[in-house]
Amino acid sequence: MPRPNRTALVSGVVALLIVTVAACSRPKAVVAPEVSPAQEAAQPVSGSDRGDATQVQSEPVITTAEVPAEAVSASDLPADIEQLNKAGYLTDAFFDTDKADLREETRTTLAANAAWMKAHPTVKLTIEGHCDERNTGEYNLALGWRRAGAAKAYLVSLGVDADRIATISYGEERPFAQGHDESAWSQNRRAHFVITAR
Amino acid sequence: MTRSLLVPAACVLALSLPAHLFGQEELYLHVTSPGLQRVIVAVPELERRPGADAQGSATFISTLRKDIDEAVAIALLADERASMVEIDAANPTLTRQRWRAVGAQFLLQGSLSGAGSQLVVEARLFDLASGEVAYSKRLQSGTSLAATMAHTLANDLVHLFTGRPGPFLSRIAFVSDRSGSKELWIMRWDGADALQLTTHRSIAIGPAWSPDGQWLAFTSFLRGQPQLLLLKPTEGYLKPISTLPGVNTSPSFSPDGSRIAFAAGADGNTDVYVVPLAGGSPERLTSSRAIDTQPAWSPNGRQIAFTSTMAGSPQIYLMDAEGSNVRRLTVGDTYADEGAWAPDGVRLAYTSFIGNRFQIAILDLRSNARSVVAAAGNNESPCWSPDGTMLAFVSDRTGKKQIYVTDPAGKPRQVTTEGNNLQPAWVVQLQ
Repeated sequence: MPRPNRTALVSGVVALLIVTVAACSRPKAVVAPEVSPAQEAAQPVSGSDRGDATQVQSEPVITTAEVPAEAVSASDLPADIEQLNKAGYLTDAFFDTDKADLREETRTTLAANAAWMKAHPTVKLTIEGHCDERNTGEYNLALGWRRAGAAKAYLVSLGVDADRIATISYGEERPFAQGHDESAWSQNRRAHFVITAR
Repeated sequence: MTRSLLVPAACVLALSLPAHLFGQEELYLHVTSPGLQRVIVAVPELERRPGADAQGSATFISTLRKDIDEAVAIALLADERASMVEIDAANPTLTRQRWRAVGAQFLLQGSLSGAGSQLVVEARLFDLASGEVAYSKRLQSGTSLAATMAHTLANDLVHLFTGRPGPFLSRIAFVSDRSGSKELWIMRWDGADALQLTTHRSIAIGPAWSPDGQWLAFTSFLRGQPQLLLLKPTEGYLKPISTLPGVNTSPSFSPDGSRIAFAAGADGNTDVYVVPLAGGSPERLTSSRAIDTQPAWSPNGRQIAFTSTMAGSPQIYLMDAEGSNVRRLTVGDTYADEGAWAPDGVRLAYTSFIGNRFQIAILDLRSNARSVVAAAGNNESPCWSPDGTMLAFVSDRTGKKQIYVTDPAGKPRQVTTEGNNLQPAWVVQLQ
């Protein structure tokens, strides 16, 4: 097998990279930092008076594989549920004041949670609805219930089995931040994801 | 009731619903109008006969005078006026005229007697305008219950002038985190004798009394999902109420005590349900896709007020007790919640968001006039005294949430200090 021309290979990779970068307006599993070396390689190296430019070899592109759901078993996850929850596989969703509507970024968060749940089909979770301290305690129990319900409904709409998701409302009873201002309140208006079985 | 008593009774009732309030949208005032004329009662030293226990007698008279002074409908004749009266034991008619001359409208006279550990009180209330005896009673009990005897007599006097039960043996159940978690507590209406009712180390909230004062319904997280429990404070007895999967909150007893309205629902929705206490499945009363919660059964049992977000923001609505004929009650509020009926069934206190803070508002259902209770800080969870002359509510004006009770001038008086204290529920008497 003839050894391929090295220069051609490099320019091929560079061209591919440019195409990839240009085409991927929404890069999926590409690790972010690899874009920089590719751009460097594409620039002609200057500063040499002799004119014989050194061809700088680009580093290989690192791409994280998209793992098919069935390939992962729950055993890949930490055995300890508490540790599993601390690992941050699922992201909490946040809400506007006195609302249980899903904001655009909340949908993005929930979609990622749904994808993870589908990739880990044995996992079960409880979605806790939480509220800030404003409004009355009793009303907030209903509002937290609504937030938990809205988060669950969205996950179910994305294909997560409803039987895997329990919901509970804590209203304003279990705040994450203890302050009495908007920075604390915005932290407390959330649907909190708790893994209960792996 | 004698004929002459009809005048002050009518006077108190009329003044508790001040005419100048009608037709005005916004007015800051106290729960009891500043113009309320309290009936002036003179309470001179009761005659102490041989055998009457000294300490029991002293407790009785000091408790009675304090109670009358704290009652909204009646007031003690001021000491400087009382001291002007020259008592002529040989001429009671003349003496009564002298009491009237210094401003007293009624005169409480009586005697303390007894033997050993028993205390006997005989009391007569004279209507000084007519000279008739408006009330008389003989009370007997152990000397250790001298204060309870005084409270009983003071309650009778309030009932005489208002037609409603007095507050002096009443208690307030509430939620406190002073032990580290939210538990149910109970205290006297003036904040004395606080006792812890639950030790679940979970979350216990939203207490509501059965009308007979035997049971407290509340929401408990003891078994994970919030469920409704019944607690008998005199026995520490706990039992679950037949409730639904999901959230179960905000219990309210029907006035006959046979049913509980509450908020429940699956998958994020909450509707108002009613369940018979004797057993049976809950019946759903509302079916909006909005939040329907905080049912409050009207004193005559025919209607239920509740909070709903069916128009966007939380507002208070009224429906017939069967769930029909829903109409909106609050219109001038950006937020309205925690409707609480006054015993007269005409006034509804609630929590409103006014001037960028939570405040207690009172809606008069006959005139649709809204008034706001003057109180600093954020205020919530209004609750009427059994006679409808006082309000208990929660305020954060000191930083922590504390329970306040309005005094006869309508001024809020703090009755809790330790931890955060929330959701007062007032009961006329523990059974």
